[in-house]
Amino acid sequence: MSALLAVFQRELRAYFFSPLAYAVLTFFLLVNGYVFSLIVAFLSDPRAGGSTTPLKLFFGDTFFFWLVLLFVTPVLTMRLLSEERKTGTIETLMTSPISETQVVVAKYLASLAFYVFLWLPTLAYVVIVARNSEVDWGPIASGYLGILGIGSVFLAIGLFASSFTKSQVVAAVATFALLIFFFAIAFMDSLVTQETIKNALGYMNLLDHMQEFGKGVVDSRRLVYYATTSVLFLFLTARSLEAKKWR
Amino acid sequence: MIEAQGLVRRYGEFTAVHGISFSVPDGEILGILGPNGAGKTTTIRMITGFLPPSSGRVTVNGHDLFTEPSRVRRDIGYLPENVALYPEMRVFEYLRYRAQLEGMSRSDARTAIGETVERCLLSDVEGQIIGTLSKGFKQRVGLAGAILHGPRVLVLDEPTVGLDPKQIIAIRELIRELGSRRTLLLSTHILPEVEQLCDRVLIIDRGRLVADGTPAELRQRAVGHAVLRIMVKDAPAAAPEIFGAIEGVRGVAPAASGEPGRLDLECSPGEDLREAVFRAAVAQDWVLLELIEKKASLEDVFVRLTAKDAARSSGGDIVDSEPVPVASDSEEIPS
Repeated sequence: MSALLAVFQRELRAYFFSPLAYAVLTFFLLVNGYVFSLIVAFLSDPRAGGSTTPLKLFFGDTFFFWLVLLFVTPVLTMRLLSEERKTGTIETLMTSPISETQVVVAKYLASLAFYVFLWLPTLAYVVIVARNSEVDWGPIASGYLGILGIGSVFLAIGLFASSFTKSQVVAAVATFALLIFFFAIAFMDSLVTQETIKNALGYMNLLDHMQEFGKGVVDSRRLVYYATTSVLFLFLTARSLEAKKWR
Repeated sequence: MIEAQGLVRRYGEFTAVHGISFSVPDGEILGILGPNGAGKTTTIRMITGFLPPSSGRVTVNGHDLFTEPSRVRRDIGYLPENVALYPEMRVFEYLRYRAQLEGMSRSDARTAIGETVERCLLSDVEGQIIGTLSKGFKQRVGLAGAILHGPRVLVLDEPTVGLDPKQIIAIRELIRELGSRRTLLLSTHILPEVEQLCDRVLIIDRGRLVADGTPAELRQRAVGHAVLRIMVKDAPAAAPEIFGAIEGVRGVAPAASGEPGRLDLECSPGEDLREAVFRAAVAQDWVLLELIEKKASLEDVFVRLTAKDAARSSGGDIVDSEPVPVASDSEEIPS
């Protein structure tokens, strides 16, 4: 447990000591701030007709949301295992009394913590909206739940990609490709005629998920989907780390 | 106590290590010597559990590496070949991290870090960011990380590579001190280091164990016969003949340096002919400018053993070579 905590803390520190993290943070807040100002301007226009859930637009209704998510997660995860393999610190790490699973979990939690940190400043938008109009808190909570859920899947995928290569760039590109696949697979349903597959793909539509979360709908099936997918990728990462030793 | 039995490591088609067995008793400093690419690092990685062997077994203090990996990892302190550290951390932060990885309690860690910093002479740089340290300091930080949790077995892979002479001396002193109370496995390709530090030496070449013995034993084995180097003033023409006639001298050859008057006398093993040579020179009224007993260095052993093997394997006949038994003092070396 202490070993897991050690890796977690080191990893989290490493985020805050790298300029990349600040670049990501800046980019992230710039884009989200711009989107928020657009939304505010839009809703202030009487012709827009107002909205009962003003922040629904912010949670996944704009394409910016997805662009940011798809670009930011690979950058957060690309370093995690690739760098240790490249510099060779993995050798000291893996000869310490710590298991592969512990290493993977610690690194995953660190990336998740930084991801949460990334979203924290957006609470300011909530405050701004709450001061100027009435706010229904349910959809806001569920919106953030969705962000956490989808983020946890994306980060697990990124960590998995990072276990394959010494190159951070390759890790980031591979993550991006996998994320695009995960994000876009649901849109294949228009190309499928068979009812069961069509339905199955419908369940995996992340875009729909976020829109529902934004409205305040929490469907436990989606949460199970996120949890199982994350665990699957973490499991694969641990196995990949183990397998690296045998080759 | 480290015991390795029949370690084999394959990378795809390529076999890096062909069945190496050895053991290191408590309190011994064992050196693994070999040319670059001989399989030293692979062997060491199998001992520390970073690489699982393709076949063979490793036990450390009686615990099997395969069945009790975390137990064994706790017992071993390991300094990898390229000391890799996290450049953004400060020295004491890194040591605290390592202590935490080893599962040490906060108070244990604090005392251990204090002691280790002192011992590895890191007090001056304790608060510095690792990325800004010189290579020698990084090496010491790595070593500090390896000994922090007080392991009974230390494994160091080329600990002095890339250091300046002063740093090398400091690290060697530290290693000698550490080795006095621990089992220590040290890999290197620097021969003087082995002579200075190690109780016993393994020589590995092309993944095979080619020699196992104390540095003195190996040296003796390489020489077989003693050589006296002499230099006679004015280089009298009769010198080879006169000295060749001394009982116990088996051959006389001009020294490799080619200076006139300098000769190498090959003597029968175990005989000290210095006095006889001196008296022979006096009898001829020659002046001896030099009279040196040439000792074989480990270098000679190393070159002989690794070169011989090269000739054999290039001849295409691949024999599973047995480790060369250490020569008893009277044994002849076939040439």
